[in-house]
Amino acid sequence: MQDWKDKYASYIDKQQSSSTEQKPASGSRLTGELKTDLPELQARLGENGDLVVRDFLLFGAYPAAMLFFSSLVNMEQVREHVLKPLMAPPPGQSEVPEDTGGMIHYIWSTAVQVTQGTTTADLSALPQAAVKGDLILLIDGIPEALRMEMRQIEMRGVEQPQTEQVIRGPREGYVEKLENNLSLLRYRLQSTDFRIEISPLGERTQSRVALCYIDSVTDSSLVAEVMRRISLIHTDGILDAGYIEQFIEDQPLSPFPQVQSTERPDKTVAALLEGRVAILVDGSPFALIVPALFNQFFETVDDYTERFIMGSLIRIIRLIALACSLFFPALYVSVISYNPELLPTDFAVAISGGRAGVPFPAVLEVLIMEVSMEVLREATIRLPQMIGGALSIVGVLVIGQAAVGAGLASPITVVIVALTTIGSFATPAYNAAIALRMLRFPLILLAGMFGLYGVMIGTILILNHLLYLESFGVPYMSPYIPGKWRDLKDTLVRVPLWWMRRRPSFLHVRDTDRLPRSVPTAEIDQILRQGDETDE
Amino acid sequence: MNNPRQITTLRAAAVISSTIIGVGILSFPRYMTEAGNSSAPLVAFCGVLFSFISYWLLASLCQRFPQETLFVFSRRLIGRPLAAIFTVVIMLLFIVLTGLTVRQFGDVATTVLYKKTPIEATIFLMLLISLLSSRRNVVKFSYIHFFYLPLIVGSILVTILLSLKNVDMLNLQPVLMAPSLQFWKGAQEATYLFQSSFVIVLLIPFMEKPGHAVRAGAWAIFLSGAIYVLIVIASVGIFGAEETKLLIYPTLEMARSAAFGEGFLERLDAIFIIIWVISVYTTIYTTYYISAYLLHKLLRFRDQRMASTVLLPVMFILAMLPSNVFESYRWALHLGNAGMMLMFGYPLLLWTVYLLRRHKEKVTS
Repeated sequence: MQDWKDKYASYIDKQQSSSTEQKPASGSRLTGELKTDLPELQARLGENGDLVVRDFLLFGAYPAAMLFFSSLVNMEQVREHVLKPLMAPPPGQSEVPEDTGGMIHYIWSTAVQVTQGTTTADLSALPQAAVKGDLILLIDGIPEALRMEMRQIEMRGVEQPQTEQVIRGPREGYVEKLENNLSLLRYRLQSTDFRIEISPLGERTQSRVALCYIDSVTDSSLVAEVMRRISLIHTDGILDAGYIEQFIEDQPLSPFPQVQSTERPDKTVAALLEGRVAILVDGSPFALIVPALFNQFFETVDDYTERFIMGSLIRIIRLIALACSLFFPALYVSVISYNPELLPTDFAVAISGGRAGVPFPAVLEVLIMEVSMEVLREATIRLPQMIGGALSIVGVLVIGQAAVGAGLASPITVVIVALTTIGSFATPAYNAAIALRMLRFPLILLAGMFGLYGVMIGTILILNHLLYLESFGVPYMSPYIPGKWRDLKDTLVRVPLWWMRRRPSFLHVRDTDRLPRSVPTAEIDQILRQGDETDE
Repeated sequence: MNNPRQITTLRAAAVISSTIIGVGILSFPRYMTEAGNSSAPLVAFCGVLFSFISYWLLASLCQRFPQETLFVFSRRLIGRPLAAIFTVVIMLLFIVLTGLTVRQFGDVATTVLYKKTPIEATIFLMLLISLLSSRRNVVKFSYIHFFYLPLIVGSILVTILLSLKNVDMLNLQPVLMAPSLQFWKGAQEATYLFQSSFVIVLLIPFMEKPGHAVRAGAWAIFLSGAIYVLIVIASVGIFGAEETKLLIYPTLEMARSAAFGEGFLERLDAIFIIIWVISVYTTIYTTYYISAYLLHKLLRFRDQRMASTVLLPVMFILAMLPSNVFESYRWALHLGNAGMMLMFGYPLLLWTVYLLRRHKEKVTS
């Protein structure tokens, strides 16, 4: 091993020489001479600490070399399944054929024990293969190289998703490795129509991006549109699914997310079954689901796993919380400063008594409290859990008790701010919750300037924006807009699963029925429709 | 997915009725009772009938040209120059209508709700949100109306129901009155509120079933007409005819009288005004949209954004022209008269030419 000083010197040398040196033409072919091919390949891969080059005699007779990255490949497996059979004398009775095709075929069929591999005569393709995790075998006198897929990367195990916890439902979440995530999908969706298209993306990272859909269900123009948008991405690196989201969304300037991201394979499968498209990226524990609609951001897995009455009620509560987080402070400001006559007299007197010592107008008071609450929230998210707990206690004391005691805020303002914050945490989708939380600040300002009229104007603006938005050609406010009765089964309330026999029509699915129409309706459905005749 | 004919009959009906329910609901009972005393509901009902006839004239003609708007096929019927003149007149009508409607709205907002807020700010904000939403295409336009209509209708119906318990049936009698000149004049004034049903002209080329245009209008006019008649019944029933004449905004007084649950919300009128803001918005949005659309077609702008931006200062100045409430009300009446003549006369002219031409074609073939 060189020490860092030597490394530095050789690096500087190389930089100076490479500026004059011409880059080797791409598309060059292997010569078959190990003495020229191997240094050429090493030169292209550059100086790397984890690059392993191993010379040996193939079957004890032919000079050969193999090359791989120790960080991507399990060394023990290489030794056991590749190196050991190749260094041993030729297995079987037959002579080793010495022509190109024969030799490769002989090695592939009798010696190495690897599941996947290819041959190539193109030298320029080899460095990329090595970086991907392939093992490359070069043999003297043979102008072809054998690539064997040996990639093995240590990964954390499948854990419960951190951002989407459920009471009742699967506990598995995605991990970073694409193969694992795809297998989590495959074992839930054992359908021959399930398609996964994989292609690398990102000029430098070459991250593999998988596009999943169910062929017989999903609208083909939707799949084509997603592919078109992905193909238009030009960037040097895709490090997370979030990078892709920003390239393919319809309206980058909108505060509302138009792509849903989830950590849950079961949620992904449910979306696929409805006729949506999922996008997964190697190295990201999040799947993207398109098209994403406003409705999806207050739906959770629990709504479906729990019985339908409970699911619907909880969903309505969540919607109330969402409305609270957006409107509550603005309504409070406008009622206090412009229309106190709306409140019952006793209550109005109590409020003005509480506000007696507060030096600011109501707008300013609410804004100060809301901003400090946002700061507190942001701070606790970034901290380790042990410190976070302590901080939140301090924050609660400062914002709650002390602010009132010091005459900075009235008690009712603290109540309003607390309700707003709690309401925003009840929204299951974090990115949608943030959008609504941020939008409440302009609303508070409008309320301070124009009272209820200002709040109304702000609301109309937000609603109009939502009505105008589209996600991959589907109106964002579907199914309320364009409004089809049968799509309303899964909105504010969720009807029983056996009643949802058809897929949402706004996705323009190929197969509109979840079940063929010939399948008899559920027994309970029959009883509800025709009355219980069996008992009579 | 990109089928241009996306507007269903139901949605077209929603556009028309949310357009019709607008700034007028607050003062409507007053001028109905001025025309017909206790038979004010009947006056309103006649007004609804008249406006449906006017609508039928227009829509049944447009139905025969399902691919084009009125402004395109009128060129073929009466020639390019004459059609252009009529289009300009219609555009001016809608520009002035927008200006005066937003002014009436501003008057109510400043006298009832915000006495200290300058009327300019109220009006400008309203015009601004109409401008921002007028940049969208017709399908989005119909989405917005369809989404707001249940809110508007629902809240008005709840207010009416809550106040119905105060209705004294005696106030509503006699129901029938010998129709006088004043009676018919009142009915005519009622039709002014329905003039914006003209918006169907823009919708027909985008409707799934253009043949249902008359049906959509019938639903819409029936629904909004029913709401207007109910409002008149409720306010005359509560206050009596003579009292209603004295109130500037009888509907608002009606909402005030309807307390909702003891001690929960002291007064409903502010809530009512808030919902009324939406209904005014949808009305102004439609007239603004029609004006912007016509300007965009006349001057051949590339898209509607430019046209709608240009219109904002014009409408703002128009809205600021009347010096007080009474003047703006008088102007609105004059405009209504002019509008009625145009809305009856122009389709009638087109119908005549259309029938004559068809007759000629039949004779020649």
